Amino acid sequence: MKSFSRYISKYFVSFSILIIGLVFFNLLAFIWTFHLIVLNDYGSSSPQNMIADVNAASRSDGISDEMADKLRSCSIWAMFLDSTGRCLWSVELPTDIPIDYSVQDVAAFTKGYLCDYPVFIRCREDGLLVLGYPKGSYFKITGNYYPMNTVKIIPIFSCAMLVIDLTALFLAYYFSRKKIICFTEPIISAIASLSEGKPVSLSISGDLSEVADSINRASRILSRQNQARANWISGVSHDIRTPLSMIMGYSGRIAGDTAANDRIRTQAETIKHQGMKIKDLVQDLNLVSQLEYDMQPVHKEPVRLSKLLRSYTAELLSTEISENYPVEIHIPPSAETVTLDCDARLISRAIGNLIQNSIRHNPEGCSIVLGLNCEADTICLSISDNGVGMSAEKMKELKERPHYMESTDDRLDLRHGLGLILVRQIVDVHRGTMQIESKEQKGYKVSLIFSKSK
Amino acid sequence: MDHSFLFTKKILLVDDEPELLELVSVILKEEGFENIITASSVSEGIDAAKTEKPDLAVLDVMLPDGDGFFLMQQIRDFSDMPVIFLTAKDEAADKLAGLGLGADDYIAKPFLPEELLLRVHAVLRRCYKTDAPVVKLACCLIDFERAEVNRGGETIPLTAMEYTLLETLAKSAGKIVTLDTLCEVLWGDNPFGYENSLNAHIRRIREKIESDPSKPVSLVTIKGLGYKLNTRK
Repeated sequence: MKSFSRYISKYFVSFSILIIGLVFFNLLAFIWTFHLIVLNDYGSSSPQNMIADVNAASRSDGISDEMADKLRSCSIWAMFLDSTGRCLWSVELPTDIPIDYSVQDVAAFTKGYLCDYPVFIRCREDGLLVLGYPKGSYFKITGNYYPMNTVKIIPIFSCAMLVIDLTALFLAYYFSRKKIICFTEPIISAIASLSEGKPVSLSISGDLSEVADSINRASRILSRQNQARANWISGVSHDIRTPLSMIMGYSGRIAGDTAANDRIRTQAETIKHQGMKIKDLVQDLNLVSQLEYDMQPVHKEPVRLSKLLRSYTAELLSTEISENYPVEIHIPPSAETVTLDCDARLISRAIGNLIQNSIRHNPEGCSIVLGLNCEADTICLSISDNGVGMSAEKMKELKERPHYMESTDDRLDLRHGLGLILVRQIVDVHRGTMQIESKEQKGYKVSLIFSKSK
Repeated sequence: MDHSFLFTKKILLVDDEPELLELVSVILKEEGFENIITASSVSEGIDAAKTEKPDLAVLDVMLPDGDGFFLMQQIRDFSDMPVIFLTAKDEAADKLAGLGLGADDYIAKPFLPEELLLRVHAVLRRCYKTDAPVVKLACCLIDFERAEVNRGGETIPLTAMEYTLLETLAKSAGKIVTLDTLCEVLWGDNPFGYENSLNAHIRRIREKIESDPSKPVSLVTIKGLGYKLNTRK
């Protein structure tokens, strides 16, 4: 369940402002449209002013000529009834208007219309002044009475309606927003994993299904490209092995051939050595790309790290390593039985790469210490040397600058091998962390820290 | 241990690259192996294995008419000869990792001549070890057939545990054998906390085979890792 506030979010404020703005705009439009009429209503020909003028300019026996002209120019008729309902005088009285009125007639027209003419009246001591405006010029409300109870509840009613309206608006906003988030949530997370290079598969129906289809298509293209790239690297690294076997085999033979002279043997030794470098590079490259695109099956099983370290070191001492690089192993009794759920081949590979790193950076030789330590809930595997180490600037560079495999900036120098990047990937696969400590001339130490298997 | 008899063993090489076949046979011949036969496909390999009855097969995984695993299964139908695979490591690395198919070892391409020879020797020694029951040390002989040590005319018997330890060490003579391997040989899987017992056995063996047990030269300790048996030719 997503938090309530998430659905409301900052858009709520702008949504509210929009509604307030809309109401305000309506008011403005209303005022703009009606202000002329209102002005007109209070102008000289308005019923209110006109009746006052006529009232002032007339008596029971007649009206001034000037006023009669003004009435004619406005197409208004007028008449004056005495208290018995008889017309004493009139101006422009239409022929269909009677001139005698009973009490009932007067009661009937005073509120509204007389023969469809909207009429306005003024009561005087001596009679009733009636002004008739042209048909259809005014709309008069004739039945404007309400029970007092109804009038009293109007404020409460309005407030309640306002609250109901606001709630309805809010709910409409809330649910539409929730619906949008429901639909977009999987799409957003799919795009996020796409940007991390992971394949996605979305199934969404409705308006956004096209977006989902496009994302699925993009994901398929991406994984196809990744697959092709990994296959390509794997193919190249495979094809390079047989020729490299030949190079290393024959150069190795020449280097060990006592019949050849020293110069030739040294040169053959160099070829062999470089051949082995290519071999390491090719192996690293392939494994890096396999891990990068999740194409390397990782077989994790509980492995006793002390045993792994010992057998790895025994193998190393028996075969490859020169005497300039004494290797020691430090395992306190507490770490002796510790096991880690891991792929033993990958962990050995990581250790091997770190040892190669130490050897490569210390051509003069150095002693290497493999350590295994066990804390409350972490296991720390460390590979350290007492060699030339690394200056603070180099260290910073190593940590901050992206590796050329992961960067499109071709100004980066391409001298780092793939060793460290592979180690990092292996550590990532095992959900561990890698720490590098080093000081100039004070050695170099890499710690691989894993959480204990439960 | 005297391994010269191993050089008479017949070795079958199967690879579709003629240059690689040439390289491997040159390396093996120079080392002293006399009987080398070669084949360049699965069918040729099967024929050669049937007619020549080699003692060891070195197979490439990728062959023109099938793969090396298939070839090995065919060979297994009529022979138990040891098999070493030559492989471009990444392919079917997992199949090889467990050697679940019954292969005896594998060599990842590209390889150095030393590595090839090391593996071939190790596999031959392991598979045909009964041919050499006597190991020469600095100041004595170990006779594995009789489970005793011959030292200046005197014979000292070995206990079962001492025999097993020495046998394991002799199989990897000159190489470090880890504590874990030795404990596993003696006490089975997950042998925690047996280091002290192992030390006791090692001490007793040294009394039998070293001229000065406190300064061992044949059975040496590699600190933190295990032990190594130095033999004489």
